[in-house]
Amino acid sequence: MNRTYRLIGLTAALSLALAACAAPPAQPAQPAQPAQPVQPAATQPAAPAPSAEIVLRWRTRPDNKEEADVYASISDEVSKKLGIKLVYEPGGSETASYQDVLRTELAAGTAPDVFWIPGTDIADFVQRGLLLDLRPYAAKTEGYSDANYYPEPMFHLTYNPETGKLGEKLWGLPRDVSTFVLYLNLDLINEAGAPDPRELAKAGKWDWDAFKQVAEKVNALGGDIKGYGMNAWWGPFGAFMNAAGGGFFNAERNACNLNSKETLTGLAFLRELYDAGLAVPYGEDSEPPFRAGKVGMFQNGRWATPGISTVTFNWDVVELPKGPSGHMGNWLFWGAYVVNKNTKHPEEAWKLVDALTQPDIQAEVAARGTNIPSRVGEAVFAEFLKILPEKNNQAFLNGLADKPTAEGPLWTGSWPDFDRVMGAQVSDVLTGKLSVEQFGQTVCDEANKAFNK
Amino acid sequence: MSAAAASLAATGKRGHAVLNVLTAWHLVLAPLLIGGALLTLSTLGAVDLIAAILAGVAILLGIASGGAAVFIARRNHLGRTLSLTVNYLLCLGSALALAHLLGVFMGLDDLADAMARGIPYLLLLLIVAGYFISTVEVRERPVPAARRALGRVFMVSGTAGFLFSVGALTALTSIPGRYAALGWLPFALTLVMLLAGGMLWRMSRRDCAQALGAKNIHSERLSGWLFLSPNLLGFVLFFAGPLLFSLYVSFTNWDSFNQRDWVGLANYARVFNLSVSVLATPDQPLREVMDAGRYDELLRLNILGQGILIGAEDKRFWIALRNTLVFGLLAVPLSVLPALLLAALLNSQLPGMRFYRTLYFVPSVAAVVGVALIWQWMYNSQVGWINYFVSSAIGFLNAVLGSNIRDPQIRWLADSDYALLSVVIMSAWQWIGFNTVLFLAGLQTIPRELYEAATVDGANARQQFFNVTLPMLAPTTLYVLITTTIQALQVFDQVFIVSNGTGGPGTATLTMTLNLYQNGFQSFRQGYASALAWVLFIVIFVFTLVQFRRQRRASGAYDE
Repeated sequence: MNRTYRLIGLTAALSLALAACAAPPAQPAQPAQPAQPVQPAATQPAAPAPSAEIVLRWRTRPDNKEEADVYASISDEVSKKLGIKLVYEPGGSETASYQDVLRTELAAGTAPDVFWIPGTDIADFVQRGLLLDLRPYAAKTEGYSDANYYPEPMFHLTYNPETGKLGEKLWGLPRDVSTFVLYLNLDLINEAGAPDPRELAKAGKWDWDAFKQVAEKVNALGGDIKGYGMNAWWGPFGAFMNAAGGGFFNAERNACNLNSKETLTGLAFLRELYDAGLAVPYGEDSEPPFRAGKVGMFQNGRWATPGISTVTFNWDVVELPKGPSGHMGNWLFWGAYVVNKNTKHPEEAWKLVDALTQPDIQAEVAARGTNIPSRVGEAVFAEFLKILPEKNNQAFLNGLADKPTAEGPLWTGSWPDFDRVMGAQVSDVLTGKLSVEQFGQTVCDEANKAFNK
Repeated sequence: MSAAAASLAATGKRGHAVLNVLTAWHLVLAPLLIGGALLTLSTLGAVDLIAAILAGVAILLGIASGGAAVFIARRNHLGRTLSLTVNYLLCLGSALALAHLLGVFMGLDDLADAMARGIPYLLLLLIVAGYFISTVEVRERPVPAARRALGRVFMVSGTAGFLFSVGALTALTSIPGRYAALGWLPFALTLVMLLAGGMLWRMSRRDCAQALGAKNIHSERLSGWLFLSPNLLGFVLFFAGPLLFSLYVSFTNWDSFNQRDWVGLANYARVFNLSVSVLATPDQPLREVMDAGRYDELLRLNILGQGILIGAEDKRFWIALRNTLVFGLLAVPLSVLPALLLAALLNSQLPGMRFYRTLYFVPSVAAVVGVALIWQWMYNSQVGWINYFVSSAIGFLNAVLGSNIRDPQIRWLADSDYALLSVVIMSAWQWIGFNTVLFLAGLQTIPRELYEAATVDGANARQQFFNVTLPMLAPTTLYVLITTTIQALQVFDQVFIVSNGTGGPGTATLTMTLNLYQNGFQSFRQGYASALAWVLFIVIFVFTLVQFRRQRRASGAYDE
């Protein structure tokens, strides 16, 4: 190799390394303190001049590519509105361990400025000092109020773990909410001669007995048809425990309540369904058989709607049946946009969070059919009800109105540890390896350890 | 004095002058490095291991620099070795630190997009390079000047176009801004990098070598170390370093984010802590016989009518250990024995063998996640293909034979009795192909003459297989067994995908690495997870050692 080629090679190698610098320049670290008051995004008269210096990375966990495209387009829209360069990074799906990857990036210092996390993770992220308190920025934002959002998520998002008081902090704003419904295969239900659950719900007769009767009738069609299906995670079985008047934790959320009589009643009802063979075996993904037309009722949240809307049979939704407590025991699922504690642009990050939770943006996301806006108010409901108008969207709102239990973090313990113990033992009960009584005797001894760490 | 001798003397004189400068450089560098490191250590508020290690390295370099100054002053060739080492490491370290500060490593992540823009130019370069390579023999004769010039124009313009398209120009113009934004540090690092680089270059020249009396063998040794250094530094930075760091972390309660507190052997104690109690009645609850706030029920035994309860502080570790060992015991033979038989089959001269060799290897190169997702779907008890075929076969048999065989409708991944077995089948299916290729390679090294001799001695095919093939394959078998065992004991991807990261149903598919992952990356107990990793290392080490010993004994037997 002669000298010319050596020179070309060296120049190319150096230039490639330098080309890596073509990415936006790093900003010097700034203290995360509130600066000048900011205008509310909705009332800004004109778009500010674009700043070439400030770049914010933000991330959500979209359920599919279409949803990721919606967020990408929203990113462009908000970028123009705020005059900040935004880089949207769609995170992996739930099965791709979105939160695990995010935590690892936070530890490595490479996490985005703004990101979405599920409600159960708020306490963990706050207590590890990973999130920026947005209260000082919100306080200076005209038109902002905690009351614009569902109170249940705001309870956790405004909780100060040091004083135990509400409203002192603001860890983020809820992106959306969701709740469980039963997706119905109306063709199967009609074929089985079972009563229409929607009619039963309207008549106020949609309770566990009615639900079981419908499941039995559909199951009686034989073959591999099942009356009911749910997936194996805390949400579905938790709803039955809630509906029986029980729950995962005590009122103070600092001890296990899985051995209470009410909680065990909910679990026993589910066990009956599985023992009788009325349900898709616990641990199997129930969505494929439902979509294949083999399941009468499938319990899932709003996020399943876009996928299910492509099935070829007649389908609709109905709220969850009421349990012994007189309530559905539904969950209020939520997740929040939060700001990385180490962001170099805290003020702009807050503006982004605020903009992403404005009604117009939430309506755009909700139009995908996946999410229910996290803002409260008749206007928001009216907008939501326009989406998939031929379906019973009111069922979702009924679920939200019937004293739902908010998906919530553990401020005095480790949710992953608690969930691991609970999930494994519930799985054993619902697959017939453990009796409900044995579960009641042992589960809290193990699960309570999650509160001591 | 001859011209050559005069030139040599002049070179020597110049070399001595340069050595004086180098001595001064090392005399300044030594206290700066040691003093800076000590100052850093004294200002560290908390135990920051990375900073402490860097400070330690700086002290070592400072000592080496001092040594270099002394030896250079004495005109000892050892001074050259020390000087080259110190300046090389300093120059490289400064360059890496500077690249980190300027965001080059982060930017490299984005280069993939930029590379796509530069591909047309890269292709142009490849075409020209391809032409020159393919005409090497032709070019024994002189290449016409015009063609040579054209080639150069293509290569230079292709390189320029490529660099421009990947953003090198933008990058170059952004460098001053980056320096300005980061304060004095990048300037200082650049200065150190250039000074150390300059000293390195100067010391590597012949005049300095001569002045220090360095011989060819010394230069050759240094060249050897220089060529080794990328691998050596990579090994230290990316393998040995993290390994030792994880060992250190296993003695702390680090959570990845906050301060690390030294906890000694507490993590290891928690891993192994068991409590055994004799029960008054077989179903006596744990809380009545041991501290329920600390122990979970692991095992209930009935020995000669006496109930015994074993409690564990970390029950999931023992469950994971059991599952991992069961997985290994099933998956290793299932992926090694069929592979051996397949290799023997594929080693024959039957038509189409090349196609089958490729076919069996395909699962090994397929992405584990994709494979696991497909198997997960196939295992679905209601709409999966496996149960569909089983049901169809049973239906067919019942129809034809008039039998009444019951369709088991196995819940492959939902029943804790079958879940681990399902993962074993899936993993063995994926590993067989690779093992087959290894056995095939081993089989093809066995000399034909041995089979011919065995045939002459009257050995049949079975005897040849057991008395010739197997003994001759022993080294390959050992390699396959060890690598498959390690792979099995580290199984993660498959169980993570099929159980959605939970290790379920219940704890049926919880393996050592999944448990480690859950502790380290879901609960963020990095200290405890590191302890689990070292325990797993010991388990794997013991298994490997046992296999080596067995092989050694077997080899000895053959030798005899």
